[in-house]
Amino acid sequence: MLTLKKLTIQRGSKVVFSNLNAEIKTSALTIIKGKNGSGKSTLLRTIAGFTPIEEGQIKENGDNIFIDKEQWVEKLIFIDTKNGLSNELTVLENLEAWVRIKGWNANKDNLIMALESVGMQNYINLYISQCSDGLRKRAALARLYFSFINKVDFWLLDEPSNELDDLSFLLFKKLISKFIKIKGTILIASHDIKSFNVNYNILDLDIIKQLAKP
Amino acid sequence: MNVTNSSWTVLFISHIKRDVLVNTRSLIDVISVFGFMLLIIILFPIGIGPTKEKLDIVSNAVLWISLIIAIIPSLEKMLQKDFDSGWLDQIATSPAPLEIILLAKSISHWLIVIIPLILASPLFAILLDLEFNQIPWIILSMTIGGLSISLIGIIGAALVLGARRGNVLLPVLIIPLIIPILIFGVGINEAVKIGSSPLAHLFLLIAFSLIYLVISPFVSALLIRIAISR
Repeated sequence: MLTLKKLTIQRGSKVVFSNLNAEIKTSALTIIKGKNGSGKSTLLRTIAGFTPIEEGQIKENGDNIFIDKEQWVEKLIFIDTKNGLSNELTVLENLEAWVRIKGWNANKDNLIMALESVGMQNYINLYISQCSDGLRKRAALARLYFSFINKVDFWLLDEPSNELDDLSFLLFKKLISKFIKIKGTILIASHDIKSFNVNYNILDLDIIKQLAKP
Repeated sequence: MNVTNSSWTVLFISHIKRDVLVNTRSLIDVISVFGFMLLIIILFPIGIGPTKEKLDIVSNAVLWISLIIAIIPSLEKMLQKDFDSGWLDQIATSPAPLEIILLAKSISHWLIVIIPLILASPLFAILLDLEFNQIPWIILSMTIGGLSISLIGIIGAALVLGARRGNVLLPVLIIPLIIPILIFGVGINEAVKIGSSPLAHLFLLIAFSLIYLVISPFVSALLIRIAISR
């Protein structure tokens, strides 16, 4: 269980939310819903350790997750709308560079398998600058495959399905159910809710923020 | 996961390779540094007229100032691209220490920028009417000085990350830190020109580079953590 306790987060001078309480089930899929600008991305960025917490705590099974921040970020994969891909590198080179900074074994078979898992096997040597938005998103989502080889507990995904076509969304759903099966926790921030193969919980930020008002 | 120190060395080298690859594929940045420096060096002697004595007084200073001016526009891009693409976020959610990655970034920037300049240094020497026995010293001083400029530059680039008009702000912020490099860099070449020993200047240049080598990764990592928290 991931517990958000009296969470107050500021971005610059703007208070995104204050006194927020919520619980997120682990080993399950949770969709963070909310209007544009309601703070979905900020919440994900906070859990990923980017945005500092003004007040309150985030606890996993009673322990503050940021006590050992390095250990925390090691076991999560964070993909937001920016993807983190370099235009000058190919799909394969981008994935390889990412696996290396994660400190994992970047052997070619695994990289190819990962790209196959999102249906990118025919675009391996395409430069990212030549890729469409959908292909870029898939190239980024190929990283998720490495959760099945290495120790990863959390996926934090910001609007992962926006650019995906039907077929790649199907492959993405497959990855999700596979990860849930191995006790992974998935947090997806999204403004529209699509159907997934697994049961999911909804965390509606708009409602929670109403409740948090003093 | 078992992360050893040797794996950080591997990571360091692999990230240098990645950055060099990225930069060689967008060659325009490299060419613009080289071209800009060459332009200043071509224009200067034309500007001061055909008097050898005048050029003699300023040639070393021109060489160094053109190096600094040419490198500055490329500094901002060192981090901006990776910040915009979200690569810095990916680094922040990995066990890789940001400091090591940033050191790798400065080193790869230095390699990309300084190698063409070193290759062209005989050309610069001809254009500025420098003696050929100065060329090894020009190469040596530019190599060490170039590394310092990259190390200082990444601090500036991290500082203006996400700021509007960063390209205007950056030179103002880093030029005070570059002044010692300019003084000792020119000092080396001046000493060689008048036939005295350039070692004192060389050691001071090395000393400053080492100071920046130690400070730069930590300061810039701190600044980047602030930039991605916004």
